[in-house]
Formats: sequence, C-alpha cells, structure tokens
Amino acid sequence: MAKSSDIPFARDSSSFFISWISMLMVFIATLILATALITHDSVKNWHKDIAGSLTVQIPSYDSDGKKRGELLQSDTETALTIIRSADGVLGATVLSDAQMDSLMAPWLGEHITTTELPLPKLIDVTIDTKNLPDLNQIKADLSEQVPMAILDSHRIALSKLITLAQNIIRLVGIVLILILISLAFSIMFVTKSGLKVHRKVISLIHMMGASDFYITRQFANRSFYLTLIGGIIGFLIALPVMMFFAYYLNNLTGSFILNATLTHEQWGILTCIPVLTATLSYLTAFKTVWGDLKRSL
Amino acid sequence: MFEKNKLSSPIAEFNGVSFRYGHGSEILKDIQLTLDPGSFHFMTGESGAGKTSLLGLFYMNHLPTRGRVRLFGKAVDTLSRAEKAQIRRQIGVVFQDYRLLNHLNAFDNVALPLRIAGVKETEIKRHVSELLAWVGLEKQLKAFPPELSGGEKQRIAIARAVINRPQLLVADEPTGNVDDAMAKRLLYLFLELNKLGTTIVIATHNQNLIKHFRFDQLHLSHGRLERINPNIRNNGQ
Repeated sequence: MAKSSDIPFARDSSSFFISWISMLMVFIATLILATALITHDSVKNWHKDIAGSLTVQIPSYDSDGKKRGELLQSDTETALTIIRSADGVLGATVLSDAQMDSLMAPWLGEHITTTELPLPKLIDVTIDTKNLPDLNQIKADLSEQVPMAILDSHRIALSKLITLAQNIIRLVGIVLILILISLAFSIMFVTKSGLKVHRKVISLIHMMGASDFYITRQFANRSFYLTLIGGIIGFLIALPVMMFFAYYLNNLTGSFILNATLTHEQWGILTCIPVLTATLSYLTAFKTVWGDLKRSL
Repeated sequence: MFEKNKLSSPIAEFNGVSFRYGHGSEILKDIQLTLDPGSFHFMTGESGAGKTSLLGLFYMNHLPTRGRVRLFGKAVDTLSRAEKAQIRRQIGVVFQDYRLLNHLNAFDNVALPLRIAGVKETEIKRHVSELLAWVGLEKQLKAFPPELSGGEKQRIAIARAVINRPQLLVADEPTGNVDDAMAKRLLYLFLELNKLGTTIVIATHNQNLIKHFRFDQLHLSHGRLERINPNIRNNGQ
C-alpha cells in the first residue's frame, strides 16, 4: 500500500509557487552562467592574442618623405624608455639590421639589405602575460613624446574588450548570488506559510512522538522535489534560447570575437544548476522548519 | 496481538499540579496523583470539569502552570525535545474529536505511529491490517475519513492509539459515537492491552461502562481530583 506524506502538502497551493519561482530562477541563471562561461573562454583566447610580444613602429621617413636621420634615433630611444618603464613590460629591444634582413628575406630575397629601404624601426616588446600592461597608457605616453610611434591598435581594442568582459563576468557572479538569495528567501517565506497552514497536523504528529527531524525532513524533501522539477523545466526552456543566441552570435561575429560554443565541462556545470538550486531549497526549508519547531512545545 | 510490557516505576506522577489557560482561572488545582504500571482508570466529571486538560498533561500537550509532572520517572519540564518525542512514542492518545488526517486513508492513519517509530513496512502492513480487522474495519482500509461515519472514525482513532502498544493510553470519550455493543468490544480491546501491562486512563460519561467494568475512578470536580477507588494512590486527599 503506497505511503502518502503525513503532511497534506497537496492541499497547500503555496507549495507550487516554489516550482514556478525555481523554474524562473534556473532559466535566468542558466542563461547568464552560459554567457559568463562563453565570455570567460573568449577572454582566455584574447589573452593569448595579446600575450607574448608586441611591436612598436618608429617610421624612418616623415610625412613629407624626408629621411629623419638623428631624429629617428632619439625617437627610438625615447620610445624604449617609455615602454620599458611601463608596468607589465618585461623587456623591449630594437630589431637589429640583421634581424630586419632575416624578417624580410622571404619577400625580398637573401641578398638585399633592408637599410636601403624606407622601413620603420621596430621595437619588440615582451609582455608579462600574468600582469598585462596598460596599452592605452603606453599609447598616450608615446603620442605625447614620440608622436610618430605606432602601437598595434588591434591589441589595444582587445585589451579594452578583456576589461569589459572581466567586468561582465564579475557582474554575472553578483547576479547569480542575488538569484540564489532571492530563491532562498522565497522558499523560506513559502515554508513559513506552509508551517502555519499545517500547524494542527504538525502538532498532532508531534503528539504521536514524531521527532523534529521527522517533520523537518518532510518539508525539506517536498521543497527539494518541487525545486528540482521547476529547475529542470527552467533548464529545458533555457536550452532553445541558448541555441538561438549561440547561432546568432556565431553568425554575427563569425566566431572571431566570441565563439559561442560550450565545452562538455561547461555543459556539465550548467546541468548542475537545477540540482544546486534544489539542494539550496532543501537546506533553506530544513533550517526554516527546524528553527520554527524549536520554538514549539 | 500484543506482547507484555514490563515496567515497575510509576507511569505518571502529578505533584501539586495546577493548570490554567493564559491568564484565566485555574482549571486544575493542586492535583496529586500516581499511576502505577498496568493500572486501569476511568476519568469522570461533568463537562468543563477539566478532564481534557488533565489528559493533555499526560501527553505533554501543555505543561502545568504550577507543580511538577513526571512521566516514566522523568520530570517533563526538564526533558529535551528528543526525550519528549521518545516519551510520546510510549503514549497512545484517543482524541475526543478523533483528529484523523483527512488526506490519509484508514490504513495510513493507523500506520502513522508505526512509521514515526520507524517500523518496517512489511511489519506495518501485517499489524495494521490485523488491528483494523479486529475493530471491524477490514473493508475500509482504503477509505478516507470524510467517507466514514462517526463511529468508524472513532474506531480508527482508537486503532491508531493502540497500534504501537503504548505503555500509557489516554482516551477522551473513546466510545462516545458507538453503540453499547461496540463500546464494550472496544473496552475489551483496552482491557487486553491493560492485561499486557499498558496503563489506561479513559475519560467517559458512559455510566454503563463504568458500572460494567468497575475500574478505579478519577473524579474531577471544580478542578480538584477526587479518589473514588482505593487502588489509586491519591496522595493529596
């Protein structure tokens, strides 16, 4: 003969609010966590792009086509001083004539020297990948003292994008915490309401010798089950929405800026959301009922 | 149906116990009472005399406002919550208004004390079916309380109170809604439990039962307990 719950939860319509709220919360949490994971991956890729070395060009001819001679030399030294003094720069060296010849050999051949060509002086900058330099600041300093120096603008754009993405990830973290707090408060209020509705039954079960744990466990199990059901539905609804946005983003950027594809590990993290929210729900309901029963006779 | 209980110390001791609801006047005044293991008592008194309140003290529905109650040798005001639960599992209660759970069928209502005590489902099925058959409800196993008559509900309430073979059984008007024949049949069930060692206190107005079974009487009048039978040690009188 099937055992029903001792507490008539089925007659308590407020309990079903838990499923609705958890469905909504898990839906939002899944979308924003997926966004954060994709952004995190992209940030790693962008780091690789700007990691290692960076090149600064000092043109050897001015805008009128005249050779700059000694001015080129002084500009190069000033640029080296500015770059080397920046935080996050491990080193900076001017490419020698031999290195320039070697670089141009594939296009010009082995027997032509680059000193006869109007090529710029190239400064090779080694960057600390764990402590990226402020490229905007370096660019501003160079513009002020060596106006003709050219810094790779793509790297500067990526640097700004990384800062933006890192802030987005932090924001997502805050939103996730707020979602979990909201869910916990909702469950706490619904559980308190359930305690009031079922006060007489709880009192009767107590009189029969039920321990606080016996009663608390029934509320907590109910809360876990409803949150899990709502969470799974919310997760399933989030899937097509995620697929649509992934398709849209990949088409929009051609996977150049953002590669909106999740790895197996990231899918694993996302599928944990309904279970984690259900566990949070169990713990919240347990603590709420336990605390309330302690105040009863 | 039941195995014999073995206890030697008093089941319940009331020492100068008084009780009132909130700031109202005292309903029970200076109650002195000792219930020995295996004793059987009728509790009598006019309506409003305090019978239900006194029974409530037996199963810790409330605590005395003065005096001390000891159950199974332990002062109830010093018990931890776990100890209270443990003691309550040794007490069967038949409520005047039955207090059946309407969302559970007859079987599950009767099985509730066993499930609370953590008894295995196979054991529960055997005991509950047997007891419900004994009280004449073997065909009502799956019926829900709103589908049952007052008498049937009362028998389920009694079955629920005795199913876990309590050391102490308190019953508030347990035969109020059944005919005399069924009332005697139920009393014989209580008697069988009593012979096996369960201490029984039954609040009743049914003079036929009181005269027929001739057990000790605890008579409440104006909040004071009067000893009717010498088998009960009423220390204060």
